[in-house]
Amino acid sequence: MQVTLKVFRYNPEVDKRFRYETYTIEAEETDRILDLLEYVKGYKDGTLSFRRSCAHGVCGSDAMRINGRNMLACKTLVRDVGDRITVEPLLGLKVAKDLIVDMEPFFDNYKKVLPYFINESPLPENGRERLQSPEQRARFDETTKCILCAACTTSCPSFWASDQYYGPAALVTAHRFIFDSRDEAASERMHIIAETDGLARCHTAYNCTLACPREIPITKAIGELKLATITGKVE
Amino acid sequence: MSLKRNVSLATGLRYKGQGPMLTFVLHRIGGLGMAIFVTVHILASFLGGELGVFLNTVYENWLFQIFVFFCALFHAINGLRITILDLFPKLLEHSREAIWIEWAVFVPVFGIAVLVIVQSALGG
Repeated sequence: MQVTLKVFRYNPEVDKRFRYETYTIEAEETDRILDLLEYVKGYKDGTLSFRRSCAHGVCGSDAMRINGRNMLACKTLVRDVGDRITVEPLLGLKVAKDLIVDMEPFFDNYKKVLPYFINESPLPENGRERLQSPEQRARFDETTKCILCAACTTSCPSFWASDQYYGPAALVTAHRFIFDSRDEAASERMHIIAETDGLARCHTAYNCTLACPREIPITKAIGELKLATITGKVE
Repeated sequence: MSLKRNVSLATGLRYKGQGPMLTFVLHRIGGLGMAIFVTVHILASFLGGELGVFLNTVYENWLFQIFVFFCALFHAINGLRITILDLFPKLLEHSREAIWIEWAVFVPVFGIAVLVIVQSALGG
């Protein structure tokens, strides 16, 4: 089948503003959008720039807007989006070149929630793992799946309005540690996410949940955080 | 150098967030509509004179009343849905169904109200 691929282009060394370029490509229904971009870069225009790494939906490098929605280019097939495809960079972050955005504000927000395990207690006597029951592990299982692709944060209207908002990805990470029975910094993190640019800016738009390529129930996780900060109980 | 971070209203509205995004946008329009109504109402009383009379005719107009009723009703029902989901996060697993219920409540109530407003406006 023939596919029309319209790609957002911006070269900071030449262009003052962005433009779109359209390519007509022969493709299979089962080709991924990443395959199309690779084809354009390899055979039509070597200057096209985009991020990719594992190409299997694990690293989260190739999140972009495909036909107006955030998706991973490596997980989206042509048959999922049709033969007229528009590819644009993520919203709410500065465009460095073509489909590459500056991820720094995203990671700055991520760092705010202390995205690492905190436990100052001495290790168990055998010096090995801090044990937890399967139920305790299941409590935060879903939020461990985040790959930091930024598809959720850049689909959020609150983040579009202000990049000071921590965003869904940072809040998902906060959830992952707050509900981990082994972690000891839950109250500190709850204090952080209760700031003006934290939970309060989530207006339950639900875009984040729909955009997540790992199908993390992000809005639900944020809802649990909201309830935990109100009641002061981590259950 | 990179392109400035710039998410315009038009760009944001073009994001295809499906049903939930639609309710998010309509909720904002609803809030704005009610603010406009209250402002016009206050200005009409405060200014008086010809301008006051003109503003009165604006917000008493049946088309404007339909718009305001849409804003108030949608804002209320959608706000109620969000409040319930925020209080009971487990229900967020059924977010899609919650939106369908919201429309199932909104459409008949709004439809009946529009019918009454139009009948009384055109029927005299």
